[in-house]
Amino acid sequence: MSNDKAQCKSQTNNESRVVEAPRYGCSLSGVYEATVGLKKAVPILHSGSGCGMSQIHGTGMAGGFNSTGDYGSTNVPCSSLVEEHVIFGGEDKLRKLVDSSIQMFNSDLFVVISGCVPSLIGDDVDAVVGEFRDKVPLIHVNAPGFSGNSFHGYELFFEALADQLLTPKRKRKKLVNIFGIVPFQHLFWKGELKTIKQILKDIGVEANVIFTEFDTLETLEKIPAAAYNLVLSPWVGHRAAKKLEEKFGTPFVSFPGPPVGPIQTTKFLRKVADLLDLPTKKVEDYIFKQERESYDLLEFGADAIIVYDPNSYFAVAADTNTAINITKYLTDEISALPEVIIITDDPPVEFRDQIVKEFESKEINFSPEIIFEKDTYKIQKHLENRSFSTLFASSIESAFANKLNKLHLTVTFPSYNRLVLGDNYVGYFGGTHFIENAKSIKLGPL
Amino acid sequence: MANNNINPSDLDTDFKLDLSKNTCPTREDRANGINVFFGKASELLEEGKKGSLKCTDRDFQQSGGCLLNFYLSVRVASIRDAAVIFNGPVGCSTTALGYNEYFRLVPQELGRPEDFELHWLTTNLSEDDVVFGAKDTLAEAIREAQERYNPKAIFILTTCVTGIIGEDIEGTVNELQPEIDATIVPIHCEAVRSRIIQTGYDAFWHAVLKYLVKEPEKKQEDLVNIASMLSYTWQDRLEVIRLLGELGLRANFIPEFCTVEELEQLGEAAVTAPICPTFTDYLSKGLEQEFGVPYFLYPSPVGITNTDAWLRQIAKFTGKEKECEELIAREHKKWVPKLKELQKGFQDLSVKDGKLNVLGSLGQGRLVTQLPYFDELGIKATSAMAQDFDNLLLNELQDVIDTVGDFDIMVNTFQSAEQVHITKHTNPDVALTCPLQGGAWKLKTSSIARLHAVRGDPTVASAQCGYSGSIAYGNLLLQTLKNKSFQRIMTEENGIVYQDWYLEQDDPLYFVEKGK
Repeated sequence: MSNDKAQCKSQTNNESRVVEAPRYGCSLSGVYEATVGLKKAVPILHSGSGCGMSQIHGTGMAGGFNSTGDYGSTNVPCSSLVEEHVIFGGEDKLRKLVDSSIQMFNSDLFVVISGCVPSLIGDDVDAVVGEFRDKVPLIHVNAPGFSGNSFHGYELFFEALADQLLTPKRKRKKLVNIFGIVPFQHLFWKGELKTIKQILKDIGVEANVIFTEFDTLETLEKIPAAAYNLVLSPWVGHRAAKKLEEKFGTPFVSFPGPPVGPIQTTKFLRKVADLLDLPTKKVEDYIFKQERESYDLLEFGADAIIVYDPNSYFAVAADTNTAINITKYLTDEISALPEVIIITDDPPVEFRDQIVKEFESKEINFSPEIIFEKDTYKIQKHLENRSFSTLFASSIESAFANKLNKLHLTVTFPSYNRLVLGDNYVGYFGGTHFIENAKSIKLGPL
Repeated sequence: MANNNINPSDLDTDFKLDLSKNTCPTREDRANGINVFFGKASELLEEGKKGSLKCTDRDFQQSGGCLLNFYLSVRVASIRDAAVIFNGPVGCSTTALGYNEYFRLVPQELGRPEDFELHWLTTNLSEDDVVFGAKDTLAEAIREAQERYNPKAIFILTTCVTGIIGEDIEGTVNELQPEIDATIVPIHCEAVRSRIIQTGYDAFWHAVLKYLVKEPEKKQEDLVNIASMLSYTWQDRLEVIRLLGELGLRANFIPEFCTVEELEQLGEAAVTAPICPTFTDYLSKGLEQEFGVPYFLYPSPVGITNTDAWLRQIAKFTGKEKECEELIAREHKKWVPKLKELQKGFQDLSVKDGKLNVLGSLGQGRLVTQLPYFDELGIKATSAMAQDFDNLLLNELQDVIDTVGDFDIMVNTFQSAEQVHITKHTNPDVALTCPLQGGAWKLKTSSIARLHAVRGDPTVASAQCGYSGSIAYGNLLLQTLKNKSFQRIMTEENGIVYQDWYLEQDDPLYFVEKGK
C-alpha cells in the first residue's frame, strides 16, 4: 500500500470524450427520470421514436431492475420524428401529440421534453407549448441529448420548473425541500427519500422530497414556500438550488450525500436543527434514542465484522453521493480501510476539490486514492493489482470483480443484478442494513 | 419515406439487394411495411395483396422504439469478439449497459464460454460535434477501439444526430480502414430514416453482408444459419442444437453472442433457417443472392407441427430426409403425450364458451407461427396484435387464416394505449406481452404471460422453441391461468392510467389520421 501519507489524486478525463459504457444517460434521460419520478406527471417526448424505449433498459432496468411506471416505458407519448419532419418541421406533429396526450391522461403535469431532432431542425417548441399553457399545467424542457448527461437533465428540469410553473409563496419556517437525489440514476432514490422524509418528520420538520410524493402538483407548487433547500449531494442539484435561490430567495445548504449510519445522520439532523432553530432537547432526545438503538443492533454483527475479513481494505466505484457516504460509514464506524475510490458520475471540475475533501477521516492516518473516471475500461484498469477485498460498485463490475477474486456488492447505477424497490442505507438503521448486505456477500468462516 | 402507392409486383420476389449502396431500403419502400391497422386479418391480407395498406400517422403516438434502440443496439453489442461504437450522444447507447451481464446468467455447464468481454464505446457527441462535425471524434473512437480491445470487427451504429448533421461515415471508415486491423462495419440505423423499426434489422444485415461475409472457401454442408434473436432464450438455442445434432447438423447462431467468424462464414452454410422471418428476411435473401445459400422463411419451430415442418425444410436442403422422419417419430413419442396433457389442462380450465382465449402480442413473424401453435394447444386467439406488417409474409398469413379461421388483428409497434384498449375490449383469458409497459399490464380479469425473455434466459421453463419449448411455453401459459392476484391487485389498487372515455369507445385507432 503506497498511501500511507495523504495523497488525494484527482484525475480528470477531459482530454478524451470517447468513453466505454458511462453510467448515465443523456439530458433527455435526466428530464425523463425526474418526470416519471413524480407520481403524476407525463413526459411528452419531442424526439425520435426510440428515446422513450431506450429508457426501459437504460433507466428502468439499469436503475435496480425497475419498471418505470404508468407514464414511463412504452406508455410515453412521443412525436417519433422521421425524415419528413426533419424536412418540413415537427411542430404540427407535436401540437397534435400534446393535444391528444392531454385527452388521454388525467395528470397533474405535462412535461414536453425536446430531444436532439427538434433542436437540430429548429422547431419552435416554446411556441407550440405556449398554445396549451392555459389548458393544463405544462412545461417545456429543452434537453437535446448532445447537451449533456442525465445529471444535467435533472438540473434542466428544475430550472424549467422554476421559470415556467412555480410562483412565489410565503415561506413556511419548518418546510424544507430535498434535492440532489436523481430518480433511477441514484439507485436507492425511493427508499432514501422516504427515509429522509421520516427522520426529518421525527424532529418536527416537514420535508418536501418532491419525488415519490403523492399530489404531484401541490408538491411542486409548494417548493417556493420552503425555508431552506437541502441539497444532499456535493454537486448534483446545486444548479437547481441556485436557481430557486435567485428566483424565490430560498437559501440552500449542501451535504456530502444522503446520510448513512448514526454519525452522518446525527450530523445532518443537528445541522438542520440549527438552520431551522428547532428545540434542542427534542432533537437531542431523538438522536440519543436512535443512536442507542442502532448501535445496540449493530453489535449483533460484531462477530461478522471482527472475525471474517476484519479491518480490510475496500474499493468503491460509484456516483459521488454513494461513494462518499459508504466510504465514510465504513471508515468512521466499522474500522474498514478505503484503498481506492473511483467517482464515476463525472462531476464538473469546479466541484472536485470539495468532493475530495469529503473523504477526509480522523479515524485513519492515510488517504485513499481518489480518481474521477467515467470510462468503464479505465475504471477496471484502476482496480487491477490492488489488495482490497470488497468492491462496492455498479453491477457492471460484478463479473470483473469475480475475475479478480474480489467480493462485490452492487450499490450504484447501473444495477442489473439487484432489484431495488424501497431498499436504501440512509438514516440510523441504514448503517446496520448496509452491514447486513455487505457482510452477507460472504459470511464467515469463523 | 413511406411509399403508399407502390405496385405489389415491384416488391418482394423481384427484390434485389444492392450491396454497393451504403445501406438497405426502408421497409416502407421495400415491402410496403405498415405499423398501423385494426380490423379482420382477411382485410389486412386483401389490402396487403393490393398494395393499398397505408402507414398513416397517429396524433397520439407512444415511444415504440427506433431502428437503433429496438434491440439492434443490444444485439450488436453482444457479438463476442467485436467492439461497437455508438456514434451519437451518450443517451443512444444506454440500452446496451446491461448486456455484458445478461449472458453471464447462463451457466458455463449450459455452454456459455468461460471468458468473454463485450465492449462498446460512445462517441458521446456534444454541441461542438454538432456544430463543427464529428469526424474526428469517430476516428478517435475507432482508433481507441482497435487499441483497447483488438477486436475482429468494429461496428459503428449511426444515430439521428449523425444522420441529420450529414456525417460522411463511409468517408471516415475508408480513410481509417488501412491503419485498423479490425474490419470496420458501419450500420445505418438512424431513427429518422423509417417509421418501421424493423428497417434496423435490414440495415444491420446489409452491413454484415457488405463488409463481413466472406466469399465461401468451401461449402459446409452440415451448417445451418439461424438468426436467433434472443427474445428466444438460451434453452431454445440448446433445443435447436439438440435437434440439428440428431440430424448430424450444426447451428450457426447469429448475431447474438456469436463471434465475427460465425458471421464471416454465413455464405458457406447449407441453408438459412428462420426463427423469426421478419428478422431473418433480408439476410436470407442476401445470402441466396450473393452466395447461393438457399433459405426458407416459414414456419418457425414453434409448436410441434411447425417444428416438424421446420426440420423437414432443413432436411430437404441438407439431404437428411430419412434421418429427419426418424427423428420426428422419436420426438413425437416423447412429446405428443405431454401435449395431450397440456390440452387437457387447458380444457379443464375452460369455463367460458369452449376454448380459452389468448390475445397474442407478436411480431408478424411470430403471428404466423404462433397462432397455429395455440390451435395445437387447444386454445384460440380471436384477436392478435402484430408489431408490423408488410408484404413479405402474405402467403403465410393466408395459410394461417385457412388453418385457424379469420380473427381480429391490430398492427402497432408497442403502442401501449391501443394495446390496453384491445385487451379491455376482447377480455382474453390470457394476454401475451413484452415486458415493456412501464407497470403491471393492469387487467382485472385476464392473466398475462410474457412472450419475450429479453436476457439470455437459461431456465428450462422459459423455452419456447422446438418440441421441448412447445411444451414448456404451454406450461407457462397454463401457469399464468392459475393465479391472477398480482394483476388484479395492481389494477384495483393503482388503477389504469388511460382515461375511461378512450377505453370505453370502440375504436382503438381513435387518434389515427383517417382517410389519408
